Amino acid sequence: MSERPVIQCRGVTVAYGLDIVLDCIDLTVPRGTLLPFVGPNGSGKTTLLKACLGLIPHQGGRLVCDFGARPPAYVPQQKQLDPIYPLSVTDLVRMGLYPELGPWGRPDLNQRARVAQALERFGLVPHRHKHFGELSGGLRQKTLLARAVVSLADVLVLDEPTAGLDEASETEMLALIRTLHEGEGKTVLWVHHRLEHCTALAHTHCRVENRRVRLQTVREENP
Amino acid sequence: MSMVQDAGALVRIFPEALVCGTVMAAVCGAFGVFVVLRRIVFISIALSEAATCGLALALLCRLPPLACSALVTAVAVLLLTIPDRRQRLPKDVTLGAVFLLASSASVLLVAQSGVGLEEIKAMLYGDVIICGPRDRWTLLLTGLPALAALLLFLRPMVYAFLDREAATVMGIRCWLWEGVFFFLLGLVVSGASKSGGALLTFCHLLLPAATALLLTRRLWAALAAAMALAIATTWAGLLTAYRADLPANPTIIGTACILFTAVVLARAVLSLLLRGSRSVEIETNRAPSNLSPVD
Repeated sequence: MSERPVIQCRGVTVAYGLDIVLDCIDLTVPRGTLLPFVGPNGSGKTTLLKACLGLIPHQGGRLVCDFGARPPAYVPQQKQLDPIYPLSVTDLVRMGLYPELGPWGRPDLNQRARVAQALERFGLVPHRHKHFGELSGGLRQKTLLARAVVSLADVLVLDEPTAGLDEASETEMLALIRTLHEGEGKTVLWVHHRLEHCTALAHTHCRVENRRVRLQTVREENP
Repeated sequence: MSMVQDAGALVRIFPEALVCGTVMAAVCGAFGVFVVLRRIVFISIALSEAATCGLALALLCRLPPLACSALVTAVAVLLLTIPDRRQRLPKDVTLGAVFLLASSASVLLVAQSGVGLEEIKAMLYGDVIICGPRDRWTLLLTGLPALAALLLFLRPMVYAFLDREAATVMGIRCWLWEGVFFFLLGLVVSGASKSGGALLTFCHLLLPAATALLLTRRLWAALAAAMALAIATTWAGLLTAYRADLPANPTIIGTACILFTAVVLARAVLSLLLRGSRSVEIETNRAPSNLSPVD
């Protein structure tokens, strides 16, 4: 696997029209890190990650992203998915196979097994035939995380994965994120609001504020 | 005369109406599932009006009707789908403006063309019962390829519509698939509006799909059900219109409305019955614990 950084920003500026959201930022994200992006509402956390994913163009500077052999897996906030679509939990998790299957491919036995494992791992087996719109917020978010895991991407980008969840679901989701990073060595970039969760999970976080970014170390790694 | 004899007579006397009605219903029914899911129901009625406006323009300028209708519809598609990140007014305003412009321009253009009242009515409101071989070919050449393309590229289109950002990250060119979908929708609406009329096209894009989505929770099943329901309402509407000597298009639309209302009511009744049975179960479960302190 390449040891080049996942993200390298040099003097990157991102703007919506004339509104500059991120101004001349420098950031290097090494491979295999769990990096929460924290900061107040509207500070540009999600904008920064979307610029790295190529969803928003950047106006200036140099932005180099190396996500590895597979495209990164993006987990949006569950409210972004319209619940009226007649798709089951399994259908949504299978969507993660698209980079391998393309428009017409059928999943082989190995890919079907991966989907089944992801459903099992996230406790979605009893809900696998349910319609996405029927699920609670926590289960919807787990479904989206399972879709990301099925893609076997090395880099996971999560946009506020605990937004709108109760405390128990939030704790469970954070534990899953930790397992993905520590157990499988995934690079996890993660937009979050609550600093206390970040300090518990990651030794460094990226603070986005006043159009700037700053890496802050919040705890020493365990020996 | 019995219903079977009437059906036989309908097949003999109006074979083109049956073929055109069936093709139009099947194609619009399938596209309607995405019109409803993408919440663009009113885009589809604006496109129907734009297609009619194109037909009126063709009548005035002596141009090929389908080409002119498709061109005007394509312009409307562009106006309605151009993304505007910094929009100061809701998209509905553009939609309303396109609808009003197309509706009024249709009447004005036809009024200037100097044709008779019956021709104007047929042009603006359409009637599936007077479809001829030319309409059949128009529908077959526009509708069937569009339906084939929709089904062939179903997966990337669904993913692009469902979760645009995640799909883009996966490598799906969402702008391309949205463009393809709206181009196909424009083509279908142009062809169907020319043959069967704008109102019947709008009906087929809305009601069978909405009814199907109430009946099933699987995408393929919803597509199949929407097509089947659209065809069934067309046949039932044509037969009723023939037997009762009613205008065909409003009868088909009325049949689709009755079916949709029946499904909505059936679901409401079923939901009430299920809720009732659940509350009885809860009461039954509570009974022993309520009695225990007295005992």
